[in-house]
Amino acid sequence: MGARAKIEEMLVQKYGVDAERLSPGATMSDLGLDSLSLAELVFDIEDVFGIDIPADEAEFTTFGEAVALVDRHLSTRES
Amino acid sequence: MPSRRVLVTGMGFVTPHGDDADLIFDRVYAGESAIRTIRSGREEVAADVLVGTADWSPDEVTPLQKVAMDPVAQMALVAARRALGQAGLDQHDETLSAAGIYMGCGLGGAESHEEGYDEYHRRSSRKVRPSIVPRVMANAPAAHISMTWGIRGPSHTFSVACSSSAAATGEAFRAIRDGYLDCALAGGAEAMLCAPILVAWEAMGVIAKEHPDGPAASVRPFDLARTGFALAEGAGVLVLEAEEHARARGATPLGEVVGYGATSDAFNLTQPSMEGQAQAMKAALADAGIDAEAVGYVNAHATGTKVGDIAEIHAIKEAFGAHAARLAVSATKSMHGHLVGAAGAVEMGLTLMGLARGRVPPTANLTDPDPECDLDCVPLLGRELPDLEYALSNSFAFGGSNVSLVARRVTD
Repeated sequence: MGARAKIEEMLVQKYGVDAERLSPGATMSDLGLDSLSLAELVFDIEDVFGIDIPADEAEFTTFGEAVALVDRHLSTRES
Repeated sequence: MPSRRVLVTGMGFVTPHGDDADLIFDRVYAGESAIRTIRSGREEVAADVLVGTADWSPDEVTPLQKVAMDPVAQMALVAARRALGQAGLDQHDETLSAAGIYMGCGLGGAESHEEGYDEYHRRSSRKVRPSIVPRVMANAPAAHISMTWGIRGPSHTFSVACSSSAAATGEAFRAIRDGYLDCALAGGAEAMLCAPILVAWEAMGVIAKEHPDGPAASVRPFDLARTGFALAEGAGVLVLEAEEHARARGATPLGEVVGYGATSDAFNLTQPSMEGQAQAMKAALADAGIDAEAVGYVNAHATGTKVGDIAEIHAIKEAFGAHAARLAVSATKSMHGHLVGAAGAVEMGLTLMGLARGRVPPTANLTDPDPECDLDCVPLLGRELPDLEYALSNSFAFGGSNVSLVARRVTD
């Protein structure tokens, strides 16, 4: 499963996000996530993808940015 | 400060008998035990343990809420929703923005605590889940209830083991009676049926062994064959309101809290003291301004341990004198188990419902009364008590903290 699909699944299943609201520009706050939920999401992403996201990179605002961040880390790991 | 009557206008519970207050009472009145065994622990060390698991639907809590909520807080939220629904109060009500919340909780977010430790050791990393602290903290149930319904008065969480929610109820009662608040939610929650915690309790030799007749027959307060108690999980929330306030908004009173006594044994961490318990009951009666003879029913703390049940019988005799022989005393932990942080609130709820209906639940499994427990412990069958006006609910904790609450039927 690609990164985007996996993150989408996590948001829908664990964070109760409505799949239809998941556009690249949808902000985490639009999707109902507060700062604690966002921190938890970053932790879950690191856990699920086996990557390490430094604190300064963890401040993505939109769904699209989250996917891009994960893709970047995955490709860095593979290279 | 003028003294005011404190009415109960709503009740909500999550228990091993379900989450509908009327059905819970009916099942308990019918003598039905909800105790069962679960398989607990990892393969090599797994065992069957007698427990009361909560019969409820976690689906009432949204996924996003669950991210930051241990099951203990989730159960508290559901119980609060039921109570506020019955009281006819929602988050837009000014009553709630001025209300306080008094909750009891023994161990906080036990499941989250276990997950946190597990994760730390498994990951061998200094990075752990950020939601652990908010999920583990004992004030989480109160906090989530406050946030969900906009309760902006004081939020207090009492951690007094088995008497946590009785203490919370007593303190909320006092705050309203003495004019500090017009309304408060009072109750408690506990969800600690995790394997490492269950073995810790077993290590104290207080957990019941399975009876030949099966799990439901295994918790037997006052019975000769009693071997201890079964831990249970759940929550109870009562809505307490000053009389004028309740009447002004047309709320229907379900009962009244009239007295609260709290004492410490100053004796032993796990062994009870008859004197401390008797003193709590006497203090509650004095606080209510009634004589012992006015009470018809006592919902005993009695968990089903050899020593504890006897101590309470002696304490009741000391507190009530000759009238003790005329009391109906039942131990409902025989059916719902020991809810620890939620025990006081759930048992006070059963007591209030019994008063309103003029009938009291039995002590289940009481087939062979211990001669040392020689009061009328309402064996096996519920009892109609149409003239019942006052009742007492006891909660006696490890550490020697004793709480007695006096409830009254409301007829006006």
